[in-house]
Amino acid sequence: MRTIRALLAGAVVVAAPALLVAQENGVEARLEARGLPASLAHSVAAIAAGASARGIPDQPLADKAIEGWAKRVPADRILGAVRHFADEMGNARDAVRAAGVEAPSGAVIAAAAEAMRGGMKPEQVRSVVQAAAAADIAAPGLSVAAALKAQGLGGEQAVKIVVGAMRNHESMAQLLDLPSIARAMHDEGLSPGDIEHRMLDGGDGGAHDGWRSGDRGSRPSTVPSTGHDHFPGRLTRLR
Amino acid sequence: MTERDGFSANAHRYLDGEPFEELEGGEFAAADRLVADARDYAERIPALDPALDAAVMTAVRSRAGARKRSAVAWLLAPRTVSVRPVWVGVLAAAAALVLWLAPRSPAPAVQGIPASRPVADTVYVRFELAAPAARTVSVAGTFNGWRVGALAMSRDSSGLWSATAALPVGEHRYEFVVDGTRWIPDPTAHAEVDDGFGGRNSVIVVGPKGLVRS
Repeated sequence: MRTIRALLAGAVVVAAPALLVAQENGVEARLEARGLPASLAHSVAAIAAGASARGIPDQPLADKAIEGWAKRVPADRILGAVRHFADEMGNARDAVRAAGVEAPSGAVIAAAAEAMRGGMKPEQVRSVVQAAAAADIAAPGLSVAAALKAQGLGGEQAVKIVVGAMRNHESMAQLLDLPSIARAMHDEGLSPGDIEHRMLDGGDGGAHDGWRSGDRGSRPSTVPSTGHDHFPGRLTRLR
Repeated sequence: MTERDGFSANAHRYLDGEPFEELEGGEFAAADRLVADARDYAERIPALDPALDAAVMTAVRSRAGARKRSAVAWLLAPRTVSVRPVWVGVLAAAAALVLWLAPRSPAPAVQGIPASRPVADTVYVRFELAAPAARTVSVAGTFNGWRVGALAMSRDSSGLWSATAALPVGEHRYEFVVDGTRWIPDPTAHAEVDDGFGGRNSVIVVGPKGLVRS
């Protein structure tokens, strides 16, 4: 009996650090498989392991390193970007926790970090997360709000649009359609202010419906009704 | 009852070679007779055959294999275990710790929100870029692990490069890669964001209804 107890206790003591090491090795192996030099992969894996120990997802950090390597960014700048991203995710995690989510998922933290990098404030992140009825909608909600803001809408307005959609129990599909709808309005010549107005209020009296929370009526004509062979935008001509 | 059973304690000590006091009458003679009988008996025992010694050692060595088998049997045999309740709590906490620390699934290998892809649906998205002078153009982004050349574009006679990809609904970041080295954001994408390396990534949010046609 004493032997069994000792074995179990030993297994617990050995398992925890072993798992951390395995996690670090997993990131390192993945980076090396993508062609990163061993020293760079090791350094990134160490940063990722430290972040993971603080409850910050490690895979987005590995992804960032891979992106930098693919873009032929020098190793020291890759490390700097990875460290900076880890810090950003730490701040994002705090913002999400402030919304009452004690143990946010890695996806929510990563989405919040990207949104904050795009200029969203911690309180705006908190508003979106608090409005999400289910945990799995918080991350897309943050990404949509960030995309709307990146399209030129004000941060507050972007958050209002997303929060409104969430509070009206719009589907995930409708939520994810918001950037496309905003883009369609932009392509029709509307200013960001007009787009905000229409998406929040249906502003033109229904002559051009736009879209608003709870409005299941017509969509802008530029949004195709099927999901095949759509064009992301106008042609870009290189000079 | 044997003859020795009637001996006194001192007679027993005498037979065992231990210090003894005075013996009762006749005990000396009886004890000496027993000793003589024992010596006589021992002399009549035949010497052990050397082959028997070897056989015994062979049997002893075979016990090592038997011990291995017995270890397996020990593991397989049902046995009663007594557990203190506090150990149940300790083990549950350890299991929770192990699960929490276990390496996450490597599936979400892209940045952004793919781990939370809410709808198991894909949308065909067509990328286009007019680049008459380019020798190669591809699309690299979160959806293909930023692999240059993974989504190669085809050129038509007018110099228009195009490619179609099935993307999961959700947010994706990407850039065009011209001639394998030149990274160019798509100015017609939903948005652009800082890529953390001094450049810009294009962002598209793919909904189940697809993207905006320009």
